[in-house]
Amino acid sequence: MLNVYEATQKNKLKSSLIVAGFICFVSVAIYVLLEAFNYYLGYEAGPLGLFGLALVISGFMAYLAYYFSDQIVLSISSARPADRKKDFLFYTVVENLAIGTGLPKPRLFVIDDSAPNAFAAGRDPEHAVICVTRGLLDKLSRTELEGVIAHEFSHIRNYDARLATLVAVMVGIVALLGDWFLRSAWGGTSRSNEKDRGERLIVIFGLVFAILSPLIARLIQLAISRRREFLADIGSVEMTRQPQALISALEKISKDMNPLESANKATAHLYIVNPFKEKGHGVVNWFSGLFNTHPPITERIKVLKQMM
Amino acid sequence: MQFIILIIILGALMIWVIVTYNFYVSSKARIKASIQEIGNQLKRQAELIPNLVESTKGYLTHEKEIFAKLSEARKAIVSAIKSGAVQEMSDAGAKLAAVLPSIKVAVEDNPEIKGSEIVSKLMDELRDTSDKVMYSRRLVIDLTADYNVRRVSFPSNIVAKIFRFEELPGIITAQEGEHLTVSEEESKPQKIKLYK
Repeated sequence: MLNVYEATQKNKLKSSLIVAGFICFVSVAIYVLLEAFNYYLGYEAGPLGLFGLALVISGFMAYLAYYFSDQIVLSISSARPADRKKDFLFYTVVENLAIGTGLPKPRLFVIDDSAPNAFAAGRDPEHAVICVTRGLLDKLSRTELEGVIAHEFSHIRNYDARLATLVAVMVGIVALLGDWFLRSAWGGTSRSNEKDRGERLIVIFGLVFAILSPLIARLIQLAISRRREFLADIGSVEMTRQPQALISALEKISKDMNPLESANKATAHLYIVNPFKEKGHGVVNWFSGLFNTHPPITERIKVLKQMM
Repeated sequence: MQFIILIIILGALMIWVIVTYNFYVSSKARIKASIQEIGNQLKRQAELIPNLVESTKGYLTHEKEIFAKLSEARKAIVSAIKSGAVQEMSDAGAKLAAVLPSIKVAVEDNPEIKGSEIVSKLMDELRDTSDKVMYSRRLVIDLTADYNVRRVSFPSNIVAKIFRFEELPGIITAQEGEHLTVSEEESKPQKIKLYK
């Protein structure tokens, strides 16, 4: 037994620990790469050197994605605005949760697809969007739908889009620096004859980091994404106090065999359940699990059952 | 140098006190607004239900007492909203909530009308309106809990003590400390109140 407040606290702590670990790792990686640049190419770190350039490029791209995320995603998934009469259930459930959380009512969209799924997007609660598929509205009861919508509301309340953007910026910086270092290592003009052992070591470190750190940063980014899903599940229970509803909704969504046509790899991480089905067992499954944006459904249900 | 550090520490402390103070005052204002929201939702309910029932009148001909109870509950809500007291609102809401199950039973008792679209629409709206009242109460409960937890937990309790922020009752104390028995009744309210 775990009450919902404890569960929230525990998960918030875990989430901040992962984020803190991520920041530490990224700082070390950036430091090592810059040092290696310094020794390998004689590059002097200025106030706005390579790091600044990487920050600007990565930040600019992520900022665009962040600012226009709702519009981009909606146009990719060809959604239509929801209507109170036609989508009474969806519309009123969102209205009620907006009352219950004190957040403004997000804009609502429906994708005409028979695969049940849902996602939230938008940079802050004022610009939030909740989108569900027709299949979700047809297959779920009102109580189950409430669980799903409350999950999306907690993503909005927790500013998960903002966190994801910041994390993406840092992953981008590491990836850019690593890439630049590898490129210069192949074709650059090094000062190899002047090196002593310590400098060589740093260059080797730099190579290792250039190869590995983008991958590791990406893995931590995915771990953060999975942690935020748990947090949103618990937030959903905090709003509806009905873990059973979310459990049966998750089961229904994951057991449904229809593929979601409008989802692709770029938008998959947004949905409440990964639109690409999980398969495989054992070690392979564990390994592929590292690359998943969502925790396995069984794991999520286990956590929810603790709160019943 | 030491002087500057002292100034920085004092400044940070000041900012923390201001932020915490603002949390308490804005919480209080939000709780007040969310109590008004309960009244707002009750009023919506009181206006909506008679209209809905009116539209199904053809189906529910022999349910005269439902209409009598409805108009009574409606009056109670109007006066409760005028007074603005949580207790009265809660009572008036309970009066209205007591009518809901009898409407449901009237529908259940007549299998021939159960399937009709207008009745299923009525049931959807009834579910929605009671959810709306429930969620507006939930907000008061959550906000009050946040406020009260911050009021007693360290270190924010220091600010609460300095400025004498009192504990807020929320909705629970509005029921005179009988929250356990009341909540038990409310977990199966339909039947208890219906056959009385």
